[in-house]
Amino acid sequence: MKKVESPKDPQITTLESLYKHLQLAIEVEHFTIPPYLCALYSIKDDGRNRVAAELIQSVVMEEMLHMTLASNILLAVGGRPDLHHSNFIPTYPEHMPHSDKKFTVSLEKFSKSAIKTFMKIEKPETSKAKPEAHNYHTIAQFYDAVLEGLEYLCRTLGPDKVFTGKKHHQITNKYYYGGGGRVIPVIDLKSAMHAVEEIKEQGEGHIAGKSIYDGDHKYGQPREVAHYYRFNEILEGQSYAPGDKPKKKPSGETFKVHWNSVYRMRKNPKAGDYDPGSPIREKMDEFNRSYTKLLALLDHSFSGHPSVLLQAVQLMYSLKYKAVALMKIPSGKGNTTVGPSFEFLPEST
Amino acid sequence: MEVGLNLLRRILDKRNPNLKALKTKVYDVVIVGAGISGALVAAQLKRKGKSVLILEAGLDEGLKPSSYQDYLEHFYTQEVKVPNSPYPNNPNAPQSNVLDIQKIEPGTPDVSGYYVQYGPLPFSSTNTRAVGGTTLHWLGICLRMLPNDFRMRSKYGYGVDWPLKYKDLKSYYEQAELEIGVSADVEDLRYPGTNSSFFGKGYRFPMHKIPPSYLDQVLTRRLKGMIYYDQQDEVKIDVVSIPQGRNSIPNKHYIDPRTNKPYQPVSAVGHPHMGERCEGNSSCIPICPVQAKYNALKTLDKAVNGKGKGRVEVRTQCVVSRLEIDSDNGKIKGVIYQHYPGSNKERTAVGKCYVLAASAIENAKLMLASGAAKTSGQLGCNLMDHPYLLTWALMPDPVGPFRGPFSTSGIPSFRDGPFRKRHSAFRTDIGNWGWNFPTGAPFSDVQLMVDQHNLFGKELRNQLYNSVQKQFRFGFLIEQIPQTSNRVTIDPNHVDAMGNYRPVIYYNLSEYELAGFATAKSFSDQVFQRLGAAQFTSYAPSDPGFVQYEGMGYSFHGSGHIVGTHRMGNHAHDSVVSKTQKCWDHQNLYLVGCGSMPTIGTSNPTLTMAALALQASESITNDLR
Repeated sequence: MKKVESPKDPQITTLESLYKHLQLAIEVEHFTIPPYLCALYSIKDDGRNRVAAELIQSVVMEEMLHMTLASNILLAVGGRPDLHHSNFIPTYPEHMPHSDKKFTVSLEKFSKSAIKTFMKIEKPETSKAKPEAHNYHTIAQFYDAVLEGLEYLCRTLGPDKVFTGKKHHQITNKYYYGGGGRVIPVIDLKSAMHAVEEIKEQGEGHIAGKSIYDGDHKYGQPREVAHYYRFNEILEGQSYAPGDKPKKKPSGETFKVHWNSVYRMRKNPKAGDYDPGSPIREKMDEFNRSYTKLLALLDHSFSGHPSVLLQAVQLMYSLKYKAVALMKIPSGKGNTTVGPSFEFLPEST
Repeated sequence: MEVGLNLLRRILDKRNPNLKALKTKVYDVVIVGAGISGALVAAQLKRKGKSVLILEAGLDEGLKPSSYQDYLEHFYTQEVKVPNSPYPNNPNAPQSNVLDIQKIEPGTPDVSGYYVQYGPLPFSSTNTRAVGGTTLHWLGICLRMLPNDFRMRSKYGYGVDWPLKYKDLKSYYEQAELEIGVSADVEDLRYPGTNSSFFGKGYRFPMHKIPPSYLDQVLTRRLKGMIYYDQQDEVKIDVVSIPQGRNSIPNKHYIDPRTNKPYQPVSAVGHPHMGERCEGNSSCIPICPVQAKYNALKTLDKAVNGKGKGRVEVRTQCVVSRLEIDSDNGKIKGVIYQHYPGSNKERTAVGKCYVLAASAIENAKLMLASGAAKTSGQLGCNLMDHPYLLTWALMPDPVGPFRGPFSTSGIPSFRDGPFRKRHSAFRTDIGNWGWNFPTGAPFSDVQLMVDQHNLFGKELRNQLYNSVQKQFRFGFLIEQIPQTSNRVTIDPNHVDAMGNYRPVIYYNLSEYELAGFATAKSFSDQVFQRLGAAQFTSYAPSDPGFVQYEGMGYSFHGSGHIVGTHRMGNHAHDSVVSKTQKCWDHQNLYLVGCGSMPTIGTSNPTLTMAALALQASESITNDLR
């Protein structure tokens, strides 16, 4: 199992360390996207799991927003996001990066156990948890450490030495849209704090553990429950109603979840499972090349060329069709299907 | 199939427990019709603190995101993708469908559809009786009328003059472009007969233009410098981007006066982040899967749930049959309606002021059924459409059709000019969807090649690519001038399942329009020659919209524009409503919609209708003080 290298500093006291952490933040946000997409695309398009599919889709969109926000912060402090390198995509099954390694995450079909794993990923921090820069219990603690680091560096170096990035490199809602919320251009400590708060609240909830809502209405968006609770809605087959409390079950409208109405994707598929030159292998590689190309386009957009995002959006659509096609092909192993493997495969190979 | 049944089941199972309460409550305003006009008026009145009831004949669908999804799934199951295909026909509130349009035998009306058509030509435009109205399936084009469109009689000797000038409507057009959310760049817009004062100084649209298609770019290059000679008049041909109610990149300099912040595209109702940009799904008509295209559900959502001291209620499945009129003073006392399912019991909704916003034919029908607005004799008359003429060709090289909106650019060069003394003005749509409208491509191509030409495999793919990828078509919206003989009326022999009248229509085209057809066709022929495109246009005498003029045959379709049946004017003796759409004969009644337009010009009428609705809202608010 490949490890993601974590910086060893207990706290963030230098710009270098801040860059490493923010790059890691981007990788952490990306980490959840292939597993969430596998769950989403394994749901058959027969209309029977429409609510569950929309809930997962909305979470994926917000993770993409988090990646973008983390990139904006990194750009703002003079760093350069790197999305197009061979270690960027985890080799599933994998522990959450920079975590206490209590559970692994896999590429697998939509199921109760998959949803329970997703809830572990998005678990809200309790208010007593101290931010830790090395081993984190939750993603939110990681971001708190980043915030502390930003504040420290602004105090010691002065904001002008911290926020050195070019403003026009920031991703704004000119080219970024529909991806889970309003993207925040980062130009100073205040906007960096907004960006971090947006990420934390969408994942775990406003005042984590005390409210099921994600605080988005502060940014002029309708009230939505945080990721953890959205996954719980799927598990319970019931929506939260206004006034519901975090520790209680949801009490709103019920909806049906047909756990069997899925493509039976193999867990953690690899292109290497199939012979080079075979039709299945060709399709696996085609998907992986496209996904890698998408990362290259995002990398280019997040390094000072925001308009390239338009091309990335086009590619996202075609990836969905390729993924679902793979979900439908029998794998030859039991009654499972092939499914996408999300492996790094640059164009030349 | 199952999904369609779900929708129908809702017609039968729905109960509305709060109907009793409606009987005694007096609203500030009762609006009939939850389409764009009704929604805009309701939203404005809510901001002014008024209480509004909207009665809608259609199903309880659309405002909930899951029910919009039902429309989509119904659409996917329909074999023929006509404009009303996602919106199932409902016997309690029947609506027209283009599939019903047929040739009319002289002396025998065509009763196969909802309209009873006496002809001689079939009226070929349809509307949608549902929450959101016809904006559910409209294309989204938002063009302003041109200054001369408002003074056809004095300038060209045809039609009538409006009681308004273009400049009277200018600020309402700006407001409508904000409310709908229109994408365009002023510097790209050029119209004949206009100058830099056509748009206000420094005016910007809320969002930047939808990018022109590859086809648009090819035509822009190849038609540069072209001049068409219409007798002695020179018409300089120009390809211009079309403003549309479709989400695009927001213009960062446009500060939304409602929020004092830069404009934000309005997403799908109930889906906070869906539809913020056009995705190129290429199914605008009949339904945008992501609601990047404006539909009136967005305004209704604001009216019901948005800011404002007032209150707006929408009651669906309530079909209005007539107005109750006070015989002493002509004021409207109540709106009589029936709710379905359930008994046919008549109920009354009461307001201080009433608005009919049910679309031009339905408004006229309701007024006639109530014995209203008799003074002018113009009620129901002057029915107009834009007869739509198609021409199509195969370009010498692939042009990438079937991507993006139906039309992103057009040729406005014939929208105004001295030729209007001789024949209709017209607007030219550049169609991005190949021969879909005239021939049913690409499905018809597949069928032809497989069934008739015995092609399959690689050969089939090659042939398809070579034909489909080069398909290109023009659509010409011909201005129809008002005629009193083109009209809607009612007949007790023709009623629907609920006992309400079906519209009885008399419709024809005049020489003015036919001469416009001839010019459009001649222009199209010249363009195809210039492009080196192989013409495939053909009109068959068996086409329902087939007409002859000067030895040539043409077939026309409806544009979906239903206009003119309760026109505005300066005097009660020759118009139904005043310039604020207040009914001359009934002082607490407004007839809002395209029916109020005295002429149709060459612009798709929705934007003008929206501007007029916003103007009427001010007048209604004043009346209520």
